[in-house]
Formats: sequence, structure tokens, C-alpha cells
Amino acid sequence: MSDVRFTRAAGTRRQPAEVPGGVPELAELLAASARGDEQAFAALYDQTSARVYGMVLRVVRDPAQAAEVTQDVYLQVWREAARFDPGLGAVPTWLLMIAHRRAVDRVRSARSATQREDRYAATHTDRPYDEVSERAQANLEAQRVRNALHGLTDAQREAISLAYFAGYTHREVAALLDLPLGTAKTRIRDGLIRLRDALGVSDD
Amino acid sequence: MTSHEPSALVGAYALDALDEPERELLEAHLAHCADCAAEVASLRAAAAELSHTSATEAPEPLRDQLLSAIGRIRPLPPRAGITTLRPRSARRWLWPAVAAACALIAVITAGWGVQEHRQLAGHRIAPTALSSVFDSADVASASVPVGSSGHATLIYTKAKHRIVLIGQDIPLLPADRTYQMWMLQPNGIATSAGVFRPDHNGRVLVQASGDLNRTAQMGISIEHVGGAPQPTPGAIIAHITI
Repeated sequence: MSDVRFTRAAGTRRQPAEVPGGVPELAELLAASARGDEQAFAALYDQTSARVYGMVLRVVRDPAQAAEVTQDVYLQVWREAARFDPGLGAVPTWLLMIAHRRAVDRVRSARSATQREDRYAATHTDRPYDEVSERAQANLEAQRVRNALHGLTDAQREAISLAYFAGYTHREVAALLDLPLGTAKTRIRDGLIRLRDALGVSDD
Repeated sequence: MTSHEPSALVGAYALDALDEPERELLEAHLAHCADCAAEVASLRAAAAELSHTSATEAPEPLRDQLLSAIGRIRPLPPRAGITTLRPRSARRWLWPAVAAACALIAVITAGWGVQEHRQLAGHRIAPTALSSVFDSADVASASVPVGSSGHATLIYTKAKHRIVLIGQDIPLLPADRTYQMWMLQPNGIATSAGVFRPDHNGRVLVQASGDLNRTAQMGISIEHVGGAPQPTPGAIIAHITI
């Protein structure tokens, strides 16, 4: 099932760790981008694009489409940098929110045509980029999140993975897992709460 | 906590896993519920952390394309007074109608048919239409069975004279027939509130407006396509007292 990769043992390949204290710096880079500073925007891209692109790729599955969506995300970020509201969350949360919405829009419009095949694929095939996931294994942040995910029940991880990484609605998650609607909603919410508490993230 | 409360949807919302009508409902709710807005923000932050587990270097050419593209795009100025999803006031939200709507909308799946007042073909309900009803201080709801297993629920505000009709398992009609919604006054006067047909799964989402102060009941009749100026005698299949 799709949550297996959350629990796979850590790999050995190296991935550069994220810059410590990167969050305030990202806010500064974004503020400079809003004033038209292309160098700052390039630095913002360098620090965040692996998370954005990797998530989008995981959702849309196709590298060419993932690149398109990622480009659209950053063009939107460039245009709307001045409209980022720090009161609503950190810069990466904002970027990932924009990216996830766009990725999900992309797969849902494609999926409406081929719903049956896609559902089959989601439940019965292994996705083709395990090597990518393994590359991410060595990332300390990834390990921290993976550790936090261990604190969730398998059922919660599965529901969250189908919603976040496969782009399914909670109704589709319920159908895929043969659950009552209320149960799927509860699993997603309770799982996210547990993840949030384990990671110690806050909205600012 | 029951799964029909809007707050039950915050997890799915944070993962962009709500259908469009549910998302509108919840966003209308978030504008007034500080607790839910704060929970959404924290869950979004947690969801964003998931992207660490899928981090992948973006293709090299993307960076150059992007940096050359932004040279031709002027960043937008800040909004005059940033608006946020944080609640502006603690005005009380009326829960029962929302709970009823969520319960109903929970059975309506993606790809549903949406029709607008007076059968304006191709028009979707405006993004603000639902929230304008749900946002009203006097929002109320009423339900009635339709056919053997269907239900129609009205969410309405008499102050704004607006109605949203949500139907599930509404019996399908022959091609030459349509459903028509009526505002019925105690004195027997009937005013059409528009015609609608369910989608192929029997789902309906219609909005209408009219003088609700004089309306005692809403009626649903089956008429010839195009609707009737007055309900055909005996054609009203459901009455909903509001």
C-alpha cells in the first residue's frame, strides 16, 4: 500500500540537509522577491524547490507535468510574494499549499476521464519512483517526519497518504478503503493532529 | 463530536481533500470560527511537512526557465490591508443548518450536476452564493422525502430571501419532464422559484431567490420541460414548510 514508503528503513545515500533556521530567512527572501529581487527569488527557489517539485511529482506522477506545475507554482509565488501573509503560516507552508492545490487540480481534472483505471492503479501498483524516495531517506527532515509518522496508526497513515500524495478526496479515500465517510474524515483529521503534535509544528 | 459538524472537515480541508461545495461551506465557517481557523492553519503546517518525505531535486532546466520567465513578470503590489482567513469577529454561527447541509453534501460526490435558478444552463452556482446563504444570521433548514428513497433539503435565509435546495436520490424524470420549485403563500398563490433536473445520480444543487416572508411552504412539482406558470393540479409531489 502507498504508505509503505513511510516506514521503509532509512537508506544510505546522502542528501544535503536543510539550512538550519531557514524559515526566517525564507521570509526575508520572499519579501525581497516581492520587491523584484530576482537573486532572492532564485535563492528561495533553491531552498524550497526539492520539496515542492518532489511533492508535485508524487501527486501527478509524470515528471514533465510535475515540472509544469512547479513552474506555475513559482510564477504564482513571484507574482503574489507581496501578498504572502505571515499571520497565516510559514513560507514553506504557503508554498506547499499553493503547490498541493495545483497538483491536486491537475490530477483531478485528468482523473475524471479515467477514474476507474486510476483507482485501480492507486491500490494495485507500486509507484515508479521508489528510488526517488530512497534518495530522500537520508534527509534529516525526512527522517524526522517519518519518525513522527510512526506514531500514527497504519490506517491513519494510509488515509493521509491517499489524500495528500495521491490527491484523492476524503470521499474517494472512503471508497478506496471501503470505509464509511465519517471514518475516513476522522482518520485524516486525527492522523494529522497526531502528526502535528509529534512534529511540534505550529501555524506560525 | 459528530462527523457532520464543519469542524470534522478541517483535516480533509488541510489536505485539499474536500469537494468544491464542502470547501465553500467550510471556508464560510472558518471566517467565523477562530478555533477551526487555527486548527486548519496548524494542520496545513503539518501537511506541508509531509513533503520532506518526497523531496526530489527539480530538473535543472526548470530553474533557468523560471528565472528567465520572472524577468518578464511584474510582482503584484500588496493588497490594501491584507485579508486573512482569521476570523474578524466572534459572531455566532448557526450550527444546525450547517450540520444538515454537511450531512447532505457529504453524499454528493464529485462530478455532480449543478443548476442555477431558472435553468440558466451551464451556469454554476457562484462561489459566494452558498456562503451568502450559510453566512446569514437567520439561516435555517428543512427537509422532505422525495420519491421512494430521495431527500430534498432547503437551506434558506428569510432575511436575504435566498434558498439553496440540495437533493439526493431524487428520482430521474423522462426527457420531457422537469421538476419545478414553488413558493406557496397561505392564500394559495404560487410563485415559481425555477425548474431543475437532477444529474444522472439523482443529485441536485439549486439556488433560488424570492419573497420568503410571504412564503409558508416550498413545493416541488413535476411539470413539462420549461416549467409551468402555475403548478399543474396534483403535480406537487413534496411540500416543505419553512
